[in-house]
Amino acid sequence: MVYALPQAAEKIETIYYTLKRALVIGVGGQDGAYIADLLLQQGYEVFGTSRDADAASFRNLDILGIRNRVQLHSLNLIDFRSTLQALKKIKPDEIYNLSGQSSVGLSFEQPVETLESISIGTLNLLESIRFMDAPVKMYNAGSSECFGDIGNTPATEDTPFRPRSPYAVAKAAAFWKVANYREAYQLFACTGILFNHESPLRPPRFVTRKIISTAVRIQQGSKEKLRLGNIDIERDWGWAPEYVNAMWRMLQQEQPGDYVICTGVTHSLKYFIEYTFQQLGLNYEDHLEIDSQLFRPNELKIGRGNPEKAARILGWKAAVSLEGVIENMIAFELNKQ
Amino acid sequence: MKKALITGITGQDGAYLVELLLKKGYEVHGIKRRSSLFNTQRIDHLYEDPHTPTRHLVLHYGDLTDSTNLIRIIQEVQPDEIYNLAAMSHVHVSFETPEYTANADGIGALRILEAIRLLGLTKKTKFYQASTSELYGLVQAVPQSETTPFYPRSPYAVAKLYAYWITVNYREAYGMYACNGILFNHESPLRGETFVTRKITRGVAKIALGLQDCIYLGNLNAQRDWGHAKDYVEAMWLMLQQEQATDFVVATGITTYIRDFVRMSFKEVGVELEFKGSGESEIGVVVNNGGNDKIKVGQEVVKVDPRYYRPTEVDLLIGDPTKAQQLLGWQPKYTLDSMVKEMVASDIELFKKEQLLKESGFQIRNEYE
Repeated sequence: MVYALPQAAEKIETIYYTLKRALVIGVGGQDGAYIADLLLQQGYEVFGTSRDADAASFRNLDILGIRNRVQLHSLNLIDFRSTLQALKKIKPDEIYNLSGQSSVGLSFEQPVETLESISIGTLNLLESIRFMDAPVKMYNAGSSECFGDIGNTPATEDTPFRPRSPYAVAKAAAFWKVANYREAYQLFACTGILFNHESPLRPPRFVTRKIISTAVRIQQGSKEKLRLGNIDIERDWGWAPEYVNAMWRMLQQEQPGDYVICTGVTHSLKYFIEYTFQQLGLNYEDHLEIDSQLFRPNELKIGRGNPEKAARILGWKAAVSLEGVIENMIAFELNKQ
Repeated sequence: MKKALITGITGQDGAYLVELLLKKGYEVHGIKRRSSLFNTQRIDHLYEDPHTPTRHLVLHYGDLTDSTNLIRIIQEVQPDEIYNLAAMSHVHVSFETPEYTANADGIGALRILEAIRLLGLTKKTKFYQASTSELYGLVQAVPQSETTPFYPRSPYAVAKLYAYWITVNYREAYGMYACNGILFNHESPLRGETFVTRKITRGVAKIALGLQDCIYLGNLNAQRDWGHAKDYVEAMWLMLQQEQATDFVVATGITTYIRDFVRMSFKEVGVELEFKGSGESEIGVVVNNGGNDKIKVGQEVVKVDPRYYRPTEVDLLIGDPTKAQQLLGWQPKYTLDSMVKEMVASDIELFKKEQLLKESGFQIRNEYE
């Protein structure tokens, strides 16, 4: 009976490895938490990383109730060794890279950190995958900010980039690194060029979350003002929980490619504010204060996208409109209080 | 007296630019990387001893990967103009050292822009960024102009793309006088030995002097728009003398196959070639040796080695210099013919020294790289 134990262990090991393994880099963020949730539902074994898994709060995973089902590790993409070690240990079939400095406004204050976390981070990941020499599929988070001011023609996958912030410049470099490694070394690597996608998991420094939480507090009696910069900007806002589905679909195709992900409908920030206050029975004009300090050095006026390729090839379409996004976010905020 | 700071002063463009700026009466400061070997050959003729009382050329040790070092040098020099010519500039090598390339070529530009901002020099210091036609990569239009979308095809080009856009961004966000020169290939007798044109002219010189039998090259079907570095540094300077900072393509508007560059170079030493076969088995064979008994008719002097292929190839580059011609009044003085003539003649002079050594019984090495 001496050999019984190892045999049993081997058997378990075999079953263990037949599950698909997904690695979510930046699992603490909004998109990381939602894709982890989706992958668990799809039956994946999910590994999630943060720069310091012991110090990170993983609040978003708690909110979604999946913290105990995600295997958490530390990984800093700036550090090549740390990246390679994590890949060797986890041996993922699919990697979703959602890490990196994610605020356009902050990127003007911390341009170097923005570049390193986004662009060098992506490069280290691509190099590590190349080194692994295994059929690993990779999704990289691109951004519609790369298009810059679009004007009236909706951006497609073929629209040239015209980045206008350190954040967008870093994302553009990451996009081309992914494309180059796909072409030069035949990696299965895709970029999703996602337009704004919101949810209750957005950090409060993002304008959508700031508007919703301030408006809810005002409705409940707070005397504060909603202080904003330029409210004439226009964006295509979607619902983050369904955008992560598009990411997953990109890695289930026969061929890797890049996709624009958006709703196809653009609204002004003013409309966003107006609709939010209306839902709470308030008139936004009584509570809004424009603060010129909050204008960015280089603000994009219009974001407009065309999601036709994603619909045609991935069979993905946004189901939640801007109004739906706002209603969901308000409901969450009210529940919390 | 105007002060200029040049990063990459020991390179081809740095050497020509420093010569131009000294002639125009600038005080020129240059940054060079530390090395255990001397690496200032290209500017040694301009070098002034640190003990000279009024020096016009001052060298500083520095590195684009070191922020504090750059801040200190810029603070000390208080330059009117900065020319960022430093880079890991070899496309093929960038596939081997992608991270270093991103650090030096991409973040390096950001570090200088941030240093200018941090030191409160945004109104004083003008910034020139050495951008490259490699940004066009898989070209989206022919010829390529300032409005042609980019499609970078190498870690080098992706890093340079970052530097290009961050330069535009700092111009727009902070009102800095910062511009990109999108320079198409520019060569000269000072070109680095591993770049294809110089590799060819060096090879031709050595073959003509009987020091080497054959040159190994990569993709002979690539087409490039080649100009002379001496003409191109003039365009860099002009870009910083305008009322408004903007970006310019600098090119000749003529594109030539690598194969034809080889032919032209051999013609300079009186040798006529015929190319046979295709792809990896293509060879260049001598059909007329021009009376040079060091070369035999029928000798295979050009062979293809796929080692020199890039993982992703850039096939055709041809620039449209209209904007530079119209706004800067820039016109190149060299033709491709006159440049090839100068390069081959210079390499022949260089290798006569080696020939002398060989004939006197010293051992010399054959360099194929």
